[in-house]
Formats: sequence, structure tokens, C-alpha cells
Amino acid sequence: MKKLLILLCLLTSSVTIAQKTEGVATYVRKEYWLKIANRLTFLSQEQKDREAQTWKNWEEDNKGIKMKLAFNANESLYTYNSDEPEEGGYSYRKSEFVLYNNFEKEHKTDIIEMLGKTYVIDDSLHAPVWKIGNQIKEVAGYICMKAETEDPIKKQKITAWFAQDIPVAAGPEMMNSLPGLILALDINDGDVTVEAISVTFRPLKSDDLKLPKLKGKKIDDEAYKAIIRQHIADRMTSRSSPYGWAGIRY
Amino acid sequence: MKNLSLLAVLCLLTAALYAQSPPAATRFSLQGQAVDTASAPLASSTVMLLSAKDSSLVNFTRTGDNGAFSFKNIKPGNYVLKISFVGFIPYNQLIKPTGEAVIDLGPLKLKPITRELMEVVVRTAKAPLTIKGDTIEYNASSFKVPPGSTVEDLLRKLPGVQIDQDGNIRAQGQEVKKVTVDGKSFFGNDPKLATKNLQAEAITKVQVFNDKTEQAKLTGIDDGKKEKTVNLELKEEFKKGGFGKVTAGAGPASNNISTRFEGKGMYNKFDSKQQFSALLLGNNTNQQGLSFNDYQDFRGSNAFNFNDNADFGFSGANRYIYFGDDNESLTVPVGGGDGRGFSKNTAGGINYNYDTKKTKLSTSYYFNQTQIQLDAIRENKRYLPASASLRTTDTSNQNNLNTNHRISFRFEKQLDSMQTLVVISNGRLGSGNSNQQSLQRVFLNSGTGNEVQTTNSQSLNNSTTNQFAMANTLLYRVKLKKKGRSFGASATYQINKNDGDLLLKAQNEFYQATSVNDMLRSLNQDQGTNSRSSQYKANLLYVEPFAKKFTWESFYNFSLRNDEVDRDVVNLNDSRNRIDSLSLYYKNNYLFNRLGSSLRYSFKGLNISAGVAGQQFQLDGKFARDQGQPLQSIRRTYTTLIPNVSLNYSLKNNKSLYGGYDVGVQIPSSRDLQPVTSNSNPLAISRGNPDLLPQLNHNLSAYFNYFNPGSFTNFWANVYTTYYVNQIIYSQTVDPQTNIITIMPENLTGGRNLGTYLNFGFPLKKTKATLGLNTQLNFGHNLTRINSVLNETNNQNYSLGARLELTPKEWITFYGNANFSITDTRYSINTAQNQVIYNNSFRGDLNLKLPGSIYINTTLNYRTYKNERLNFNQQIPILSSSIYHILGSAKKAEIRLSAVDLLNRNVVVSQYAGQNYTSTESIQSLARYFMLSFTYNMRGVQGKIRRDGFY
Repeated sequence: MKKLLILLCLLTSSVTIAQKTEGVATYVRKEYWLKIANRLTFLSQEQKDREAQTWKNWEEDNKGIKMKLAFNANESLYTYNSDEPEEGGYSYRKSEFVLYNNFEKEHKTDIIEMLGKTYVIDDSLHAPVWKIGNQIKEVAGYICMKAETEDPIKKQKITAWFAQDIPVAAGPEMMNSLPGLILALDINDGDVTVEAISVTFRPLKSDDLKLPKLKGKKIDDEAYKAIIRQHIADRMTSRSSPYGWAGIRY
Repeated sequence: MKNLSLLAVLCLLTAALYAQSPPAATRFSLQGQAVDTASAPLASSTVMLLSAKDSSLVNFTRTGDNGAFSFKNIKPGNYVLKISFVGFIPYNQLIKPTGEAVIDLGPLKLKPITRELMEVVVRTAKAPLTIKGDTIEYNASSFKVPPGSTVEDLLRKLPGVQIDQDGNIRAQGQEVKKVTVDGKSFFGNDPKLATKNLQAEAITKVQVFNDKTEQAKLTGIDDGKKEKTVNLELKEEFKKGGFGKVTAGAGPASNNISTRFEGKGMYNKFDSKQQFSALLLGNNTNQQGLSFNDYQDFRGSNAFNFNDNADFGFSGANRYIYFGDDNESLTVPVGGGDGRGFSKNTAGGINYNYDTKKTKLSTSYYFNQTQIQLDAIRENKRYLPASASLRTTDTSNQNNLNTNHRISFRFEKQLDSMQTLVVISNGRLGSGNSNQQSLQRVFLNSGTGNEVQTTNSQSLNNSTTNQFAMANTLLYRVKLKKKGRSFGASATYQINKNDGDLLLKAQNEFYQATSVNDMLRSLNQDQGTNSRSSQYKANLLYVEPFAKKFTWESFYNFSLRNDEVDRDVVNLNDSRNRIDSLSLYYKNNYLFNRLGSSLRYSFKGLNISAGVAGQQFQLDGKFARDQGQPLQSIRRTYTTLIPNVSLNYSLKNNKSLYGGYDVGVQIPSSRDLQPVTSNSNPLAISRGNPDLLPQLNHNLSAYFNYFNPGSFTNFWANVYTTYYVNQIIYSQTVDPQTNIITIMPENLTGGRNLGTYLNFGFPLKKTKATLGLNTQLNFGHNLTRINSVLNETNNQNYSLGARLELTPKEWITFYGNANFSITDTRYSINTAQNQVIYNNSFRGDLNLKLPGSIYINTTLNYRTYKNERLNFNQQIPILSSSIYHILGSAKKAEIRLSAVDLLNRNVVVSQYAGQNYTSTESIQSLARYFMLSFTYNMRGVQGKIRRDGFY
């Protein structure tokens, strides 16, 4: 993580940039479950088409769920934006999901409720292997570059768009360690999209980066991967989707 | 940009170079300086070191104020240096270790991206801009063009592209000489041909670049000239398609039944906006309606519209008033046909949907016809006061033909981002006729133990009906400025017309009659009933979030229903003279108003709401024996307050809890309200009661649900209870002379029901064996008045079920279940008749996959019915099996041999213990038959051994 130290040195030298390394980004995460269902190998083409034809308008109305990422040059915390119901509707409980990264200490703590348990995944930070592409696009007012990686367990193609002029290693979901803040993610050509809708630079308060006090089973990355791997295999064998409601996050 | 093309060439050579270069033993440092074209330093540029092999990110840094950067201690190997700065084209350079400790690249110039591309493409159109060497790529979907537009229209929208009147294209000021599609020339060299002929919808990307001239390509000598070229990339799967399937089968005549056949065909065609489907089915194997899957395929995106409820009320509750009608549904029926009797069925329809984000339209037409033959043996025992009972046996033969045409229309328009308008219209035109022959015998047991036959009745009913029903709804919803505040309004007009004619012939012999005149009564009547009912409804809803976690909802419902019924009964044996006692003319107005309000707290998965509604029901009726006679009035106003409480709580680890209390109001049906006498069954005459009040059901229920997708365990429990106020009960009076029963509705308070259901499922061995256990208990307390004596019936029902799923291998699965049910019924007026009913069922499904795409499915369904008091004891084992083979490597066809009810034992049986009676029914139904069928499915057929789970 020498690069981060170098980065830090550079940052401290320039006041204008230093202001751009601390704040909160808000994202909208959308799951396109028809596309996900399309990848379930046990479904026949007829079943896939039936789902697609029946529910296409519903998928279009998908408003997604808002997430927030608090970041500074050394740390980040990613979780739901709010517990309040949207637009006066019913309130649905969201599974516990808090991801904390410390880039300076190369450490992470994730609190994830899945498969009927709350897990605390405590391990050193393993950065994904990124491939940098030649595309640029704008997300939430920032010009972003493209980077790609693959999820080693779920075998998903993940495309990230990172802002060249927000020099922090943070990012949404479990994606990070790019030269700039990740403002958009695309998993498997649009199965899931996470896109920033706003980035606010402000000094973080002490509880912006605080993990909630939650009891959970402590595991490391390898154990987490083993659970995910086993669950996917079990569900596929029993002809049901490993993802979606109360399953694992896509 | 030249650097980039150079890079591309170099990249190709990398592998070879890499292999040849000697392993540089020492680590090295890399430094340089990022500058713009005017050599001014670019401070804070992102500098990335990528592996030359696969572009993976190895290290990154930022340039200092002077644009300088350095990487230290780099492992030997080939790298790509990439420098990016907002507004500049990313700089790429291949780095090969030279053996020196420090490689100094000096100033590296970044070229600016033209302001136009940056502002217009990247910022305004939000289009990802891909830079591939000299090529700049536009994402076509980011530039909106109307449907049906050509590529020319699309190009007109691209920044930096102009098209003149003749269709000549200029890009970045230069004339475009060549248009290619997926890199290939399109219709020769005229660029206009491609742009004028191709649909914009089919294009995913537009690339504009300078290509070498054809001359240069041919000679291989770069003449330095470049041609502006546009390349159009086609969408991989241009969302458009069609699919269909057809099944046809036939089986030989045997076992006293004629040849069996079944056929079904369906075709669907769709693109991104439209869906069209056509369906046709016919069979004589008791398959009456569409399966759920067929329904989904037929209706497409309009199969389910959950937000179409125009009768606003307490959130979570559905319709606010229930009329006790049994009209057939207006929408396409799903399922149906309980396998009773012998039926011949045809159905067909077409459906068209058009869906865009703002406009959604759906129309359909559906036709179905069922001819059914029912031979039934029924036995019914009624318990009378003083240990007397009346046993009726009925042997009947019925032939029905029913035809229905249904149309549906739904239009949804998003007027703007806040307002939505929905128009729904569903209609049904139906006709039916029925011939029924019946022989009834009545036996009286006055408590002495000996049965005496009192009545013998032979009847012949011949009826025809014509119905028309339609419901039209207009639904308007608007979201107001404040987040969460919304308003809804709706109006509905419903019409129901029913013209029926019944020819009734009956010979009734009463053996206990005291006079000769009463001994034999014969009926020969023509009963004509014309009814018409219109309903007008209007509803309002207002939702106000008055604090962060609180919502206040208010609604108002108005409903006015006009019924007009004209019933003329004439005696055919008496020169068509009217029988006044059976004829009636009436006009009813039902006026219903309800105003309600509720408050809800919602936070973190907890939703609690409480509310109350005031409602008034007004009946204004007029009736006479005939239109000509003076009308008598019935007037009735009924006002009540109904509370509503609900709790909805989702807890950690997939647990949820629900509890609620509500009051349901059931308005008496007009048939029950009018003092009309119906004698279609001459031994059980029914008559309406104008004094009836609406029934109130106080419902209290709770459930708990838990499931664990990790361990595949689930648990479900509920408990529910209902207390009836003014319950509409059919009281009975038995004529001591003739034993004819007169049934009349009245209100009784005090009936109640309490039940609970538990279900627990868990894996015995994960993914291989799953066991499910369930139990259901139900306790009912029902009231009836029999010959003016109040009877209290207590029903206790206990059932227990088990389900086993064995899925050990990919080629064998077994699904089994067993259910046991005991109903203990006690009658207060006649304790000697207390009785116990047993209904048990066992079912096993064995699926096998054999080599050579051969599949076998075998099902045994064994049901037993027992009632010792009625001496009723039936065991029905149904064994069916089918073997099928999937044909060809494309797996699109299937040939199947089915044997249904191999033991030839099918009879459809039901038994029931009601308020003061028990009844059993056995219907002769389609039993053993064989069928050979062939299926072709354009999307392929799949042999399913294992059932699908939740996906």
C-alpha cells in the first residue's frame, strides 16, 4: 500500500484536493431480477421467456434502494441511506449490511445478515484485481474512467467507473482500491447497477464511520467465500435462486 | 492519438517481445512528467501502471504540482503506463525494462478532448465515450429518437455530425465517405444507403474514425490520406421474437367411453414494446380452463395488475363490501374443472399488449365452451328436533352446456411524472342451457329407529340462461409535491343482465298425505326470470405523511346499486296461467356510503395501523307479484362503525409477525332479500327474507413466519377466529304432511369459528431429502333454526399432514404426501346423530430419467372417505403413469404415452357435515383412458425430474 502513502503525501501538499477526499456519496442500487433469473441454468427457455414477458413492466418500475458511502482518504463506511419508508409507503426491514474499510491499516470489517444469521467478516483488505479500460463517462457530475474485475466466487463481470478527480480508494459494495472514488458499478452487464446520485464533500462526523454494535458470528474472508460458494451450489441443486429475498446479495 | 495506435500495434507484439527479452533481474524505477500540448504541467493527474499482459492495475499515483510522478521498486516486466486527466484523452505508453535502474520518460503530452465532445456527449447525453485509438464511439441508446426512425435520424442527433438535404453525412467537418455495418461495407459504397435503410432501433453503437483509403488498404502503402468512416454496430439480440408450441394427442375408445382427444396450440410474438398471443385448446379429458402458465403466456405483461383496486379502503384490506353473488368472473378463468363428470371443452383467444414507459395498453378476447355430463348419487341427512331425521337420496343425470365470450381492455397513461390514469373495461357475454333429470326419495326416521319412505319425486328441469356483465373503471392517482402525499379518485360502472328460463316438470308422491289431493302433486311450469343490476361506485383516497414515520390515510366510498327483477311463473297444465305465489316483480336500490380514516406508524420493518370507518347501508325496495299490481315498499337503513387494527413486523433473520383485527360487512344478496319462492327443487323450496340485515364478521388473526434459506428450514403458524353478528343463516322448516323443506335466510348472532395452522419444513439431508409436517385444527360453532328450534352445531376438525421430498440423484426423485382429517360434529337438537367423518389422502409421485432422453412419471393418489353413521365407506386409488421421450438434439419435440387411472376407479366424492345435515356426493367421472400425444415447442421441451423451488 505504498501507493497510498505516496498518495497521502501528495494530498497533504495540495489544499484544494484535500477538500475533495472527505464526504458522503449517495447511490441508487437496482437489481434486475429478470436478468438474474435468466442466468439460472435450471430454468427452461420457456420459463425464462414467461417471466420476462409477464413482469417486464414491473422491472421497468424498479426504483431501487438508496445506499450511502461515507469516505475519507483512509476509511470508508457503506450502508443503507435511510431506515424511513419511501414515499409514505410501508416500511420493509432491510437485512443488516454495513461495510467498513480502513485503507491505511489495510483492514476491513463487514457486518452482513444473510442466510438467517448475522456475520461479522473481519479480515485484511483484499483489493480486487482491476483492469483499466479506455472509456470515460460522466456519473453524478464527475468524469469517470472504466475499470473491470471479476468476482471470483459468483463469477460476475464487474464494471466500475471511478472519478479521476476524487482521489480516494473507497467504493460501493465490496469494490474499492482504485485511483479514484468509484461512482458507478455494473454487475454482469446490468444485472445489478449501483450509481451515485450525489457526492457531498464535508468533514465527517465521528459516527459517520462508526460500525453499529451488533452481535454476529465472526468469520474471515475465506470462511465467507466458503459459505457463499456452498449456498450457491445448494440452491442451484434444489432448483431455486441463491439470490434475492433473504438469500445472498447478488 | 497516434500513440494509441502505436500502442495497439505494440500490444500485439508484446507476447513475443516478452518471451524474447532476457529476465531483467533488478527492480527499476519509472519517472516522468504529465504536460498538456502547450507543455504546461498537469498537476494531480492519475498515473496508473498496468500489467501489459492483461491491463490489470499494478500500482497508481498522482502527479505533483509540477506534473511529475515516479514509481519506485517496480518488479521487472512489461507495463503500460496510463495517465489520465479530466478533459484529456488518456495517455498510454508501453514500458519495457531497459536494464537501467531508472527509466525517465521525460515530459509526456496529453491531448485535450474537444470541448464539444466532452460537454455534449459525456455531460449532456451521459453517454459513455469510448476512446479506441483514433476512434471515438457513441452509445446509440443515449440519443433518443422516435420509434421507427432510421439511422439517418439518429446520426442527426450526434454532436459533431451534420446531414444535408440529400442525406450526405459530414462528421467533424469532413464528408463521410464510407458507412460500414459491424465493420463490413453495406450495399456497396454509397453511405446513404445504409443510413436511410437501417432502423435506428437495431443499432447499439456508432463509431466515427479516420480509415485508410481503399487504395491504401489494397496496396498496403499508406498514402497518408484518411477517409472519414462511420461504423454502425448492430445490437446483439435485437429484442424481438416469436415462439409457439403445439400439443396434440388422442386415445382409443375403451371402457365404455368414446375416443379421447386433447389439443392445444399457442403462438406469441413480441418486440420491446408489443406482445401478441393467440391460443386455442380443445379436449374431452376434463381440462376446462387455462393452466396458470398458459394464462401467463396468454396475457403477458397484463397477467397481473395488482394496483388496479379502485375500491379504496384500509390499506391491506381488499374489497370493502361483499355481495353474496356467485357470478362467473369477468376475466379469463384460470384452472377450474375439478375433474367431475365427463366434459368436452373448447377455448381460445387473442391478446395484444402495447407497453411503453408512459402508455400501456392491453386488449384481449377469450372464448370458452364446456359441455359437461354429470351422473350423481347424493345422500343428505337432516337432523330435526326430537331425534327425528330426514334422509334424502337423489339420483340425477345432468347435461350442461355453457358458452362465454370475454373481452378485456386496459389502458394506462402516465399523464406526467406525478399523475397516472387507468381505464379498465371487462365484459362477459354468456349463455347456457341445462337438462337435469332427477329421482329423489325421502325417508323419515321419527326417532324410533325405523325409516319410512315418505316421498318419491321425479323431476325434469330444462333451463336456458343468457347473461351479459360488464365492469368499467376509471382510476386516477396523483402524487403531490410533498413526498409521500398522494390522492386517488376512481369511478366504476357495472352492469349485470341475466335472462333465464326454466321449464320444470315434476311428479311428487307423498305417501303420508292425508287427502287424496295431497298424495300426488305434479308440476308443469315455465319460470321466466329477467334481472338487471347496475352499480355506480365512486371512491376517494388521500394519503398524508404528517411526520417522518407517520402516515394518515382517509377514504370515502360511495356505491349505488339498482336491481330490477321480473319473475313470471306460469302453469303449463293450466293454459299458461300465472302462479302468483311464485311470481314476483321488484326494484331495489342499495345505497352504500363509507367514510374512514386510519393512522400508520412505519419504521424499520414495523408497521402498526389503526383506524375506524363509519358506514351506512340503505335499502329502498319496491315489490309486487307483477308489474301491474301496486308496489309495496321495503325500507331499511343500517349504520355501523367498523374498526380496523393491524400490525406488520419483519424481524431479524427472516422472521415476520402479523396481527390484525377487522370487521367484514356482507350485504345480503338480492335473491335472499326478496320474498320470492324458488321451487326448482320441489322438495326443498327456498324463499327470500326482506327483513335481512347485513352480516358482520369480526375477524381476529395472527401469524408468524420464519424461514432460513441457508439451512432450508421454514416454520409457519397462524391462528384466526371469527365471531358473527347477524350472520345470514338458512333456517329450515319441514312440513309435517309432505316433509317438504322450506329454506329461508335470517339473521342470527353467536356463530363463531376458531382455527390454527402450523407448518414446519426441514431437510433430512440437505438438497437430498426434505420433510414437511403440518397440522390444522378448526373449531366451529354454528347456529340454525330448524322448525323454529335453535340448533347449535359444534364442528371439530383435526388434520395432520406430512410431506416428503426425496431428490437423491439427478435421475430419480420422489414426492409424497399424506393427509389425515377427522371431523367430529355434534348437534344440540339431536345428539343421537352426532358423528365423525374421516377423509384421508395419500399421494406419491415418482419421476425417473432413463438413458436416451426417456422420462417416466408415475403417480398414485389414494383417497378414503368414511362416515360410519351414514354407512358411507369409499376407497379410491388412482394410478396414472406416463412415459415420454424428448426427440432430436434440438430438444424441441416430445412424444408421450399416458395412462390415466390404470385401475379404472375414478369417482369424484365429497362429504360434508353442515349446520344440521350431512351430505355425501359421488359423481361418475372420466376414469381409465390412454393417450398418445406429441408436443412441439419452439423454445424447447425440458424433462423435469426435480420440481422448481422459489426463484
